[in-house]
Amino acid sequence: MRKDAMRETMTTGRAAARLAMWAFLGFFLLVSLLPLAWLLVNSLKTNLELEAAPFALPARPSLANYATALATADLPRLFANSVLVAACAVALNLAVASLASFALARESFRGREALHTALTAGVLVPLIAFMVPYFTLMTRAGLYDKLAALVLVYAAINIPVSVFLVSSFMRTVPKELEEAAIIDGCGFAGRFWKVVLPLSRSGLVTAGTFCFIYAWNEFLMAMLLTSSLSARTIQLGIRFFTSQFVTDYTGMFAAIVLSIAPTVLAYAFLHDKIVAGLTAGAVKG
Amino acid sequence: MRTTARSRVLALALLALLALPSLAAAQGKEIVLKWPCIWVGKDSKAPAIAEIVEAFNAANAGKVRVEIEPQPDYNAYEQKVRTALMAGQAPGDIFTLKLNASTKDFYSNKLLMDFSKDLTGAWRASFDAGALAQSTIDKKLKTLPFETAVLPIWYNSAALKAAGVSSVPSTMAEFWPAMDKIKASGIAPMSQMSGDTNAWTSMIWFSHFAVSFGGPDIWAKPFTDKAFVESAKLMKRIFEGYTTPDAVGAGAGVSGGHFLAGRTALFSNGPWYAGRADLRATPFFPSIVIARAPAPGPTKNFMISRLQANVAAGETKDKARRAAIVQFLRFLTSEENVRKLAQSSGAMFAIDSGYVPIDPLQKQFYDIAAASKVTANDLEAALGAEATLEFAQQLGALALGKVTAEEFCALVEKKIDR
Amino acid sequence: MRRHGNRNLGLIALFLAPALLLFAAFFLYPLGFTLVTSLMRWKGGGGMSPNGLANYAKLLGDSSFRLAMRNNAIWALASGFVQVPLAALVAMILARGPRGWRLLRTIYFLPNVISTVALAMVWVTLYNPQYGAFKALLGLVGLPARHWLGDPSTALAAVILQTVVYIGYYMIILLAAALSIPRELYEAAQIDGASTLVQELRITLPMLRGSLATCVTLAMAYGMRHFESTFLMTGGGPAYSTSTMGIALYLKMDALRYGEASAAGMILILLGTVLVAALRRALGRGDPLAEAAQ
Repeated sequence: MRKDAMRETMTTGRAAARLAMWAFLGFFLLVSLLPLAWLLVNSLKTNLELEAAPFALPARPSLANYATALATADLPRLFANSVLVAACAVALNLAVASLASFALARESFRGREALHTALTAGVLVPLIAFMVPYFTLMTRAGLYDKLAALVLVYAAINIPVSVFLVSSFMRTVPKELEEAAIIDGCGFAGRFWKVVLPLSRSGLVTAGTFCFIYAWNEFLMAMLLTSSLSARTIQLGIRFFTSQFVTDYTGMFAAIVLSIAPTVLAYAFLHDKIVAGLTAGAVKG
Repeated sequence: MRTTARSRVLALALLALLALPSLAAAQGKEIVLKWPCIWVGKDSKAPAIAEIVEAFNAANAGKVRVEIEPQPDYNAYEQKVRTALMAGQAPGDIFTLKLNASTKDFYSNKLLMDFSKDLTGAWRASFDAGALAQSTIDKKLKTLPFETAVLPIWYNSAALKAAGVSSVPSTMAEFWPAMDKIKASGIAPMSQMSGDTNAWTSMIWFSHFAVSFGGPDIWAKPFTDKAFVESAKLMKRIFEGYTTPDAVGAGAGVSGGHFLAGRTALFSNGPWYAGRADLRATPFFPSIVIARAPAPGPTKNFMISRLQANVAAGETKDKARRAAIVQFLRFLTSEENVRKLAQSSGAMFAIDSGYVPIDPLQKQFYDIAAASKVTANDLEAALGAEATLEFAQQLGALALGKVTAEEFCALVEKKIDR
Repeated sequence: MRRHGNRNLGLIALFLAPALLLFAAFFLYPLGFTLVTSLMRWKGGGGMSPNGLANYAKLLGDSSFRLAMRNNAIWALASGFVQVPLAALVAMILARGPRGWRLLRTIYFLPNVISTVALAMVWVTLYNPQYGAFKALLGLVGLPARHWLGDPSTALAAVILQTVVYIGYYMIILLAAALSIPRELYEAAQIDGASTLVQELRITLPMLRGSLATCVTLAMAYGMRHFESTFLMTGGGPAYSTSTMGIALYLKMDALRYGEASAAGMILILLGTVLVAALRRALGRGDPLAEAAQ
């Protein structure tokens, strides 16, 4: 009798816990999906429908905004530029950051702590304050209005975050593995390339994802450092819907939906595939 | 010996390499003028600007070519122009600025071309004298006034009628009862806002009140002047009883959205708003009346206006290049091209083109500008960005009863840079 | 073993060189520039004149800037101690592999991919007291709507909530770390009869320590420089109630007060660096090398 009651409270307790867990997860599901759903629904409406009832479904859903989006902003070209810039920026950033992270995470030398703090502090720099110096730097280097300027700037801006993330993953690599490698005749570079780097792949993927998203969504520097269509990125295309006085919101939403589709797909498939590969079988439960 | 010889050869080669492009330029090559331009994409002036540039390039083929570099997003464009100028570079051969109490600092910048000796005779005469006077600082004309705007009040007269208000109120004695009737009809009478960096639509209302109380020169007086305090009291009353519940903190998009959706009957904005497709799609579009705000003070029959865009050029020592820039600006500001721009966009210009709009709503703007004996600047144009920001921020506090009208005015006065 | 007189110093320098070069060009040079101009009177004319500490004095004497500093402190605390713990909780649940966890992981990250402009617009409409969705939700339970963004007593909380619920960044860092914890640890605990909760407290949390320190530091640093979403939602108002140092900086630039803007930037960087250094000291124990050095 007593035992039964206990089992009952345990199962109701467990059920309540499960319910709480799913409510918790459901809440985040809702707030995460809401913006996207809102954008999607409103991209099928007219601007007046948006103003009149921002949460209503369109009376007659229309793809007209998508047609305008593709026609107005030369999106395919800007799209290709964005892919190029983001990919190059990620490659450069990860190469530079992983080398530095290895030195910082796996070696001890004088000034290491100070250097690490200084690099990390780069995370909190307000980039708008750096507009004038960046403009000067890029024009002096002859890179104004070139995609290379954006590659360089995005790779550099993300160094603090990447170093911070990658080094924190590198720190978790067990020392014994490195020591074994040394016994096997691995040098400094060998320890980096053969031991530490492969074992910090999930850190690299995370840092790379952040860098990619940054490069894909960045607007201010792209506007500042480029001027002609040949050197512009997708975010500038989206802003073609905001003129000085009038914003074509629903047209802009269509452009936004088009512009995030590839990042979502890249994240869902690429990132998940890589991380899943790395952590295969690690799921508890 | 050998090393010096080699370095000499190297130096020569380098020199030749450097000289090559300038040599080519000297041999009568086409002059290319870059124009980072905001009037592109969805902007209402975009098609006409593209046409004008094309016509200019066709007429000057082989000699001068103007290249438009499309700049989306106006705020970012302003930042770009400023950043380039602060970094010691002109943002292009031709560009535009909003000239106001803050940006007039640019006149001491050597990167801007001075047009004062170029603008003579008939060309000078075609410009509005007041706009030219406003654009001339220390005898220098470093920007040409181009687009202007009047900032009147918009009345949805269908909503007024529905509330039992038969005509647009012109005195305060008519105004409050009319607002009460609109309120009783179930909608908020006015679109107001304290958000963004300038509380745009409410800033227009305040400017109307202040000029009515204190005359067109009111902006030169301290902000603690009675005219401003009285205007602030009117704004407080409006915010407390006659606008939407989201007015404090609302941005221009929200303020305009209420008017478009018929949730308010009164609104304030410039002529560019008339060209919106969503406005034209509203059922009340034909009933929109453009008029002054009711005058609470002694000054009546005036209009609030501002220089909306001035054209600037990058200073150059190259005489041919300078001539090419002036040649293009003459073309851009010619009566014919201004008429073309006005016609297609509904915008207003500092150049008299003799254009009279056919579109009834646009025509109302031209009519009210022509009928106004006096014009005065709005608060932002007159006092600059810092004072306007404080105005917007404290307008929220005023509306919520956190500061009195007197305190409000004293706070704004502190931020005015005289 | 490699503590004193590391013989790999040359190689260490070589590995650090590219990062340091870029860091010097894109962080140190602009920082020096900001420092110098923060001591100048610099308006639209392009010319500067020395101004001593007047820009700093003006900012610190301005109650709206002091309010911005306070707001940044609140931002940093909320990001570090609300957003990151929420992310950790989600990561710990997902790491146990409930049904559909992969899909959830992707969806939770989605908002980080959408532009800030769009996210801000969505939330401004959600919060609207006239036609917003929150009004409708509260209406269902009979509560009245408030003008959350327009009331100085709720505006800051409202803009912080908009950011804090998006946990994607920290979730993926913590999830990657949680998934790399050896499974055997949990199996052993299970055999000992430890409940799920006990396993999480005794195994997962200690193992996540380093990653949590990373996330808290990142989140608090982002809180210090916070700018964009608030600027888009409220412009820092009403009555500066949601202003931050980043917003003040931007508005100073907008008003062509470049010297004062630089000073605001320097104050932000200085306070932020102190915070980061303090966090590294306080949380650095997850770092074996730092531990060895202590």
